[in-house]
Amino acid sequence: MDTHKPILKVDGIRVSYGKKEILQGVDFEVAPGETLCLLGANGSGKSTAMNAISGFVGCTHGKIELDGEEIQNLPAHKTFRLGMVQVSQARDLFPQLTVEDNLKLGAQVRSKSTMLEELERVYDYFPRLRERRLQRVMTLSGGEQQMVAIGRAVMARPRVLLLDEPSGGLSPQFVNEIGTIISALKEDGATMMMIEQNLGLAFKVADRFIILRDGVVVDGGTVADYADDHEQVVKSIYL
Amino acid sequence: MLMQLTVSGLSQGAIYALIALSLTVVFRATTVVNFGHGDFVLGGAFGVYVLVVMLGLPFLPSAIAAIALMFACGILISRGFIDPIKAGPHIGFAMMSISLGYIFRGTTRSIWGREVLPMPRVFDIPPIFVGDLVITGDAMIISGTVAILLAGFFVVFYKTSIGKVIQAVYQSERGATLIGINVKRFHDMMWGAGLAMGAVAGILIAPISLLHPDLGAGFLIRGFAAMTLGGFGSLGGAVAGGLILGVTEQYAGAYINTALIDITSYLVILVVLVVRPSGLFGKRAVVRV
Repeated sequence: MDTHKPILKVDGIRVSYGKKEILQGVDFEVAPGETLCLLGANGSGKSTAMNAISGFVGCTHGKIELDGEEIQNLPAHKTFRLGMVQVSQARDLFPQLTVEDNLKLGAQVRSKSTMLEELERVYDYFPRLRERRLQRVMTLSGGEQQMVAIGRAVMARPRVLLLDEPSGGLSPQFVNEIGTIISALKEDGATMMMIEQNLGLAFKVADRFIILRDGVVVDGGTVADYADDHEQVVKSIYL
Repeated sequence: MLMQLTVSGLSQGAIYALIALSLTVVFRATTVVNFGHGDFVLGGAFGVYVLVVMLGLPFLPSAIAAIALMFACGILISRGFIDPIKAGPHIGFAMMSISLGYIFRGTTRSIWGREVLPMPRVFDIPPIFVGDLVITGDAMIISGTVAILLAGFFVVFYKTSIGKVIQAVYQSERGATLIGINVKRFHDMMWGAGLAMGAVAGILIAPISLLHPDLGAGFLIRGFAAMTLGGFGSLGGAVAGGLILGVTEQYAGAYINTALIDITSYLVILVVLVVRPSGLFGKRAVVRV
């Protein structure tokens, strides 16, 4: 793991919705193979930061670099083509298509030539999806839909995988399963940035975290340093 | 007589089906109800009239050129007039499409006035007699062309990877963006495809009817009636609705009163919205979350 040259570099970005400035100069980096977790209370700017990186919202100031290439203010479909692949909080699946169609569509733009190999790889991560491959996504449970959403993103062979609250609305059993899958992706070398309210999951899979409050980074550190002190992290988030 | 009316109705209904399907393609992709669509259908008819009658070109290349022209028009409308107002109120789309249609209609009026323009017959196929049943050459050409087009459309839509992408964007634009689809360009293509399909209907009509600038209004309402009957947003429903409407017009005209032909569409819209607002094939999606 080359920790010297970040694959993702966020440098002083500012984002406004109308007159309200949501991000007020945010800086952080993600190294290749690293998993960074963005923590913060509701409204702290976590999702806005992720959406700025993936291109769904524009920055008024600052730079975002993917492997040295500036990507700030590129539209989302272009950042995707460069390898910035997001799993959104709402999942944004295609409910009337089958599991397999949803997965294959993930590879349509970036990895069409290796689609079948990618499909096998995703089914290895998610054996449950192989069983349900011909089922329409709208008939799946929330946890299974989250697996499809992550699987669809993995199909694109992301350079950086952005996960927006992967545990959102899931039962404890599915949170564990999702955590195991994210850990497996990490072991296989995936670079990830995630937003997560569930500190148990965040600290299980992340290497490092930063805490956002009112659109600025107020704290951060390595997960190993805080492994037994979640309370301190919670205080930083909310107090 | 019933069979004869059914054959005539299906031939007429094939045109309505194509118009309704082209309206639905744009509606599903963009949520815009194109109130100017009847005039764009006429655009295909006038395009082929200009190329064949005024410039003396052969019919088939003229038809292809007219379709291509209307496809380009669709892209222009999407980029130049619909995309810039997307942040505004949704009713702005309706106002814009009405205005564009009327501008198109006004332009044709300013060139040709209100006179009726006859176009030379293109399809000269003798009728087929099956017992007492007569199937005209026009009916065969129209039904055959529309059947081939519809078959091609549905094969592409349901059986190809391009079709899957189109279905994906129909179901979730944000989801489509998350897999790298340029949704803005997709809207351009769907506007182009919608106008091109409408133009095909106009081109099929042109050689068998008298053209005039106000002809499009009648086709718009029939397209709407077919959409309503089939269920808003249902592609198959639009086709079924068009065919049923065509046959219903013929039955109503023959068995009740010929004056009913012109108001059948309005009656269909009225009855369907009161009795079954979702139409024959429209349904509410139920998503488990």
